[in-house]
Amino acid sequence: MRSLSRTFLLIAFASVAVTGAAFGSGFSIFEQGAKATGMAGAFAATADDPSAIFYNPAGIAQQRQLSISAGATFINFTNQFTGDPNDPFTSGTKGEYERHTFIPPNAYAVIPFGSNLSFGLGVFSGFGLRTDWQDPWVGRFSSRDADLKTLSVNPVIAWQTSDGRFAFGAGYEYRRAKVALNQNLALPFPNPFTGRITDIGNARLSSDWDSSSGWNAGILFKPSERFRIGASYRAPMDIDLKGKADFTQISTGSAQLDAVVGQTFPHDQGISTTIPFPAIMAVGVATTMNSWDIEFDVTHMTWSRFSELPINFETQPDVVRVQDWKDVSAYRLGLNKHASANWDVRLGAVYDENPQPTERVSPLLPDSDRVGATFGAGLHTGPFIIDGSLMVLHFLDRSTEGRNAENFNGEYKTDALLWGVNVGYRF
Amino acid sequence: MKTRFTKAAAAVAVAALTAFPLFAAGRGSANFQNFVAIGDSYGAGYESGALNANHQVFSWPAIIARQVGLTLCEPTAVATTNCFAQPLVSGPNNELTLRDLGGTITPSAGGGSPLMLTFGRPYNNLSIPGATVTDVITLTGKSTEGAASQLVLRGLGTEVQLAAAQHPTFIAIWIGGNDLLGATAAGMPALLTPTDKFKASYEAMLDQLIAAAPSAGMVVGTLPTNAQAVPYVSTIPPFLVNGTAPVLGPDGKPIYYVADLGGGNFGQLPAGSFVLLPALAKIRTGYGIPAALGQIPPFNQLPNVGKPLADSDVLTPTEAAAIVTRANEYNAVITAAAAARNIPVADIKGLFDRVVVNPATGAGGINVGPVRLTNAFVTGGFFSLDGVHLTDLGYILFANEYIKAINNGYNAGIPLASITQVFANNGAMFGHEDDSKFNPGSFSITSSAAAQMKAVWSFASASRRFRAASH
Repeated sequence: MRSLSRTFLLIAFASVAVTGAAFGSGFSIFEQGAKATGMAGAFAATADDPSAIFYNPAGIAQQRQLSISAGATFINFTNQFTGDPNDPFTSGTKGEYERHTFIPPNAYAVIPFGSNLSFGLGVFSGFGLRTDWQDPWVGRFSSRDADLKTLSVNPVIAWQTSDGRFAFGAGYEYRRAKVALNQNLALPFPNPFTGRITDIGNARLSSDWDSSSGWNAGILFKPSERFRIGASYRAPMDIDLKGKADFTQISTGSAQLDAVVGQTFPHDQGISTTIPFPAIMAVGVATTMNSWDIEFDVTHMTWSRFSELPINFETQPDVVRVQDWKDVSAYRLGLNKHASANWDVRLGAVYDENPQPTERVSPLLPDSDRVGATFGAGLHTGPFIIDGSLMVLHFLDRSTEGRNAENFNGEYKTDALLWGVNVGYRF
Repeated sequence: MKTRFTKAAAAVAVAALTAFPLFAAGRGSANFQNFVAIGDSYGAGYESGALNANHQVFSWPAIIARQVGLTLCEPTAVATTNCFAQPLVSGPNNELTLRDLGGTITPSAGGGSPLMLTFGRPYNNLSIPGATVTDVITLTGKSTEGAASQLVLRGLGTEVQLAAAQHPTFIAIWIGGNDLLGATAAGMPALLTPTDKFKASYEAMLDQLIAAAPSAGMVVGTLPTNAQAVPYVSTIPPFLVNGTAPVLGPDGKPIYYVADLGGGNFGQLPAGSFVLLPALAKIRTGYGIPAALGQIPPFNQLPNVGKPLADSDVLTPTEAAAIVTRANEYNAVITAAAAARNIPVADIKGLFDRVVVNPATGAGGINVGPVRLTNAFVTGGFFSLDGVHLTDLGYILFANEYIKAINNGYNAGIPLASITQVFANNGAMFGHEDDSKFNPGSFSITSSAAAQMKAVWSFASASRRFRAASH
C-alpha cells in the first residue's frame, strides 16, 4: 500500500508543473515518455512500458507487473522571424521568442489484476503551446504571447487473451485547459500629432481552468513472436473556457488623443472561447529481428476541427480568429537495440506534417512541417528502469509567401531540442 | 474639347502599350555606388510646410539610399565622407504642427538654417522644392533665383549638370508635380505647363543625363492624376456645412458657395467643384456665402457675406477636368520617354489612386500593418499638415513604388522600406537604436524655405473628421 501512495505522489507532482509548448503538429505534444520519444513516438505496436496509457492503452495488458513511471520532457527551442522584404510593414524586421524551458510532465501507473486484466492511470500534458515574443516585437498587434496549457488524467483498463496475441484497452480522459493571449492594440491611423504608428493599449485575455471529458482506446495484435500490430485512438474534445479580458490603455503622449481613445477603449470584461482538440489516431507495425525492435507508425490528427478560435466578449463585439487547419499525419520510424542485458539504445526519425494553411501562419502559432531525429537509451537495473531521450527537431522554413490573412508577412525558422527522462519502478 | 479628349484617349493607349516594357531590363544596372536623385519638394523631403532634417531623412531618395545600404550624411560630413548627401536644414524651420484635436495647426516657432552649405561636393539628392521639369535643366542656384534652388544648387550648375558631375551609377527621378501643382494650388489651369514644353524638357533632361552617364541605371515615376484628391483640394466642401452635414436651402439642396468661376464670371459653384484649403479663412468671414443669407443669423454676423470667393480659391469641375487631362498627357510623355530609353517607371499615379477613399462607399485607402493610410487631412497619415506634401509614412510608400520599379526593371531584390521605421519606438525593431533620425542641432535663423502656404493656416474642420475616423 505504501507503494501505491508513492504512485499518487508522483502523479500529484506531475500535475503542478504543467506548462506547454507545441511539439507535435499544431499544439499537440506527442512526447509523453522517454522510451517512446527515443523511438520517435513509433510506439503504438510496442507499447510495453507504462506510457502505453498515452500511446496505446491496449499495451498495458501485456505488462504483468505493478509498475510506475514518471518523467518529463525538457523542451528548448530557438526561432527567428524575418520580415518579408516585399512587405512595407515587416520588411527588415526581426523577432524571436523569449527563451523558456518547457517541461510537460508525465506520470503513469500500471496495476495488473489476475493474468489478463490491467488497470492504468496516466497523467500528462498532451497539448500545449507557448509563443512568447520578445519585446520589442513588430508583430505585437497580432500576438505578443500565447499560452495554452492542458492536463489530462487518463484511467484505462485493458484485457488480453490468455495467449497474449490480442489485447484491447480503453479509458476515460479528463482533460482540463487554460489559455492566455496577450497582444497590443494600435491606433488605426498614424498619430496625427507625431505621424508615428502608436500603441494605444494592451489586451490580456486569460481563461480559468475548464475541463471536458473524452476517451481513448486501442488494440494490440501479435500475429507471431516477431510481429506486432497496434492501433489506438484518442477522441476529439471541445473545451469551453471562460475567463476575463484585461484591457490596459497605453498613453499616446497626448492627453487629448488619450481621451478620444478612451471613449471607445474596451473595458475589462468576461470572455469565453472554445478550444477544439483533434482526434489522434495511431497505427503501427513492429518487428523484432535479432536484437533489434523496429517499429513504423503513422499518426493522424484531425486538426480540421480547429477551424476557428472564437473569442466572445461580454460587451465588445466578438472576435473570430479563423484558422482553417487541415487533418495531417506524421510518419515515425523507431529502432530499439537490446545492447546488453541492462541497456537498450534507440534511434528514430519523424516527419510531421503541419496542419496550418499558409494564410494562417501567424505569430500566434507559426507552424511548419517538421523533421526530427531521436536518440535514446534505457537502463534496467533491478526494479528500476531509467530512460533518456533526445529529439532534435527542425521546422522547415515557413514563409507566409505574402499571403497572411492578417497581413503580417515573413518567414519563421524554428529548431528545438527535446530532452526526455523517465524513471520507472517495477514492484 | 474634342482634341483634348482624343489626346487623352491616345495617352491612355500609349500608357497601355508602354506598360509592358516596364518589366523589361532597364538601361544600365542597379549599382548604387554613386546614387543621385533629381526631383522637387517631394524629393527634398518637404513636409508640413517646411524643409528640415527631421523629415529630409525621410525624403524618398533618402529612403531608397538606406534600403540599398548607403549611409545618410550627417551635417558634419565632408566631401570625402562616403555617404548620401542632402542639403540638410536645421529644424523646426517653422514646420506646421497640430496643436489640438480641434484642428489648430500653427508653425512651430523657430526658423531653420542650412547645415551643409559649404559641403565640398554636389549633394546626391538634388531635389529642389518648387522645381518644375524645365527648372531641372535651367536653374543653377544663382543669386537671382529662389532660396530653394540656391540652397540645393549653390550656383554650381543645374540639377542635371550636378548629377552628371558625380559620375552617377544610378539616377532616380521624380519631376513634374509642380507643373500640375502650381495650377492646382492657384485654381487656374492656365498655369499648367503646356504638354509640348513638358515633353521637350522631360526628354532633354533624360537625354542630357544619358549623354553624361550612358551606363547609369535610371528610374522615373508617373504623376498623380487625381490632384483633386489631395487634402489641399478635397478637404473643404464646396457648399455650406454645419459640422459635416450640408446646410440645405429652401429647395432642399446644398447651398453652394459663390465664387469667380473664371474670367470674372461670378456665380454659385456647380456641383463637383472644389474649394482650396486656404480659402477656409475667408469663408469664416463670410466670403462665398450667398448674399441672400446676409440677413439671416448667424450669417449676419459675418462681415463679408455676399462677396465671392476668388478664382484662385476654387476649382470648378471644368478646371479640375482640365488638370486631370493634362496630368494624363504628362504621364503619356513620361511613360513613352522612359520606354524609348529602357527606363523603368514607378507607379506613383497608382499609389495616389489607391490612397484615396471614395467618400460615397468608404472604399480605398492603403492598409499597412495595423494602420490604414488615406487621403484624409490630418488623420489620413499619408499627406502632411500642409495638405500637399507627404508624411514620413507617405514618403516611405512613395519610395517603395520606386524600389518596386527598380526591382522589376533590374531584377534587383532591394527590400522595401518598412513603415515600422516610424513606430513610436522604432529602432529596436531592427536590432539597433533608431538610426533613421539624428539631432540636427539647435540653429534658429529665419526660414529660407517657401513659407507662403503657412500664413493662411488655422482652421478647425479636421476635428470632426478626426472623431468620425476614430470610431
